[in-house]
Amino acid sequence: MLLFIGVGASAADVKLLPPEQAFRFAARALDSRTVEARFTVADGYYLYRDKLRFAAEPQAVGLAAPALPPGKVKEDAFFGRVETFRDQVVVRLVLAGAQPGQAVTVRAESQGCADVGVCYPPNTQQVIVTLPAAGSPPGPLIEAHPQKKGWFN
Amino acid sequence: MPDERPARSRRGWLFATVAVAALGLGILAAQLWIRPAAVAKDASALLAITLPDTSGREQALGQWRGRVLVVNFWATWCAPCREEMPLFVRAQREMGAKGLQFVGIAVDDAAKVRAFADEIGLNYPALVGGYGAMELSKTLGNSIMALPFTVVVDRTGAVALTHLGPIKEAQLDAILRQLL
Repeated sequence: MLLFIGVGASAADVKLLPPEQAFRFAARALDSRTVEARFTVADGYYLYRDKLRFAAEPQAVGLAAPALPPGKVKEDAFFGRVETFRDQVVVRLVLAGAQPGQAVTVRAESQGCADVGVCYPPNTQQVIVTLPAAGSPPGPLIEAHPQKKGWFN
Repeated sequence: MPDERPARSRRGWLFATVAVAALGLGILAAQLWIRPAAVAKDASALLAITLPDTSGREQALGQWRGRVLVVNFWATWCAPCREEMPLFVRAQREMGAKGLQFVGIAVDDAAKVRAFADEIGLNYPALVGGYGAMELSKTLGNSIMALPFTVVVDRTGAVALTHLGPIKEAQLDAILRQLL
């Protein structure tokens, strides 16, 4: 047991998650021109609505500015009214110029904080989704950072 | 088949030995990688940097060598950072003459930093750093690169305290009283 003393940092960093685990990004192709992007926000963390940015490559897929769902309104002493997301945010990305069967890199930038009183700098995550052929069923959900299985499960 | 037993048991022992050795190596690796061994105990890397202030003038952190230096990594988009800063303003006002120097390193836009500094009457330098500043904080123990992160450097240039998250007034006062 002695070996484990000293592993981890000071008492202050109470098991804080790295940003890609606090704000898990995933996406799936719904049809040949639509991708559903989602953030799963860990308990005790929140994302800022106005800091969410999406991009899709190649640029020719023509991602239109997505409509974000409304967040929870919070009064901020410096910035005024800000909206935040907890639990899960689902955003539909419409790719007007996409081709059926095309592989698309979906990139999401996010910025959020933990309730314990720390914030993370903007973080970018990405996944590659393959758009289904016209009339085919939606593709699988692809996670940017799949959760690793532990040694003992 | 009677002669298969010993072979199987030998194989079993071999497996067990390899497993124990692998576990041992794993723990050793975890110790080497996760332990604060990688965390700088002296602040020379921090004291060697130069960053622009909100007017764009380059400021070398080394100019405050010999003082008790509190370097606070923060940003205007970080509400917990902003909330603790009046405490730093007060400490700077009360203990500056004794050799205390606060320096803020904002991972932010200069214009926003200036606006916030004016709003709270910041009485210590606000430098502007980018992602490199976050990387630097990582070498000082900010493993997840979150904000606020505060580093207290003593007069000899040694790191006396690193703290992730808002620092409590009592904790700050205690370490400053000890170092000043």
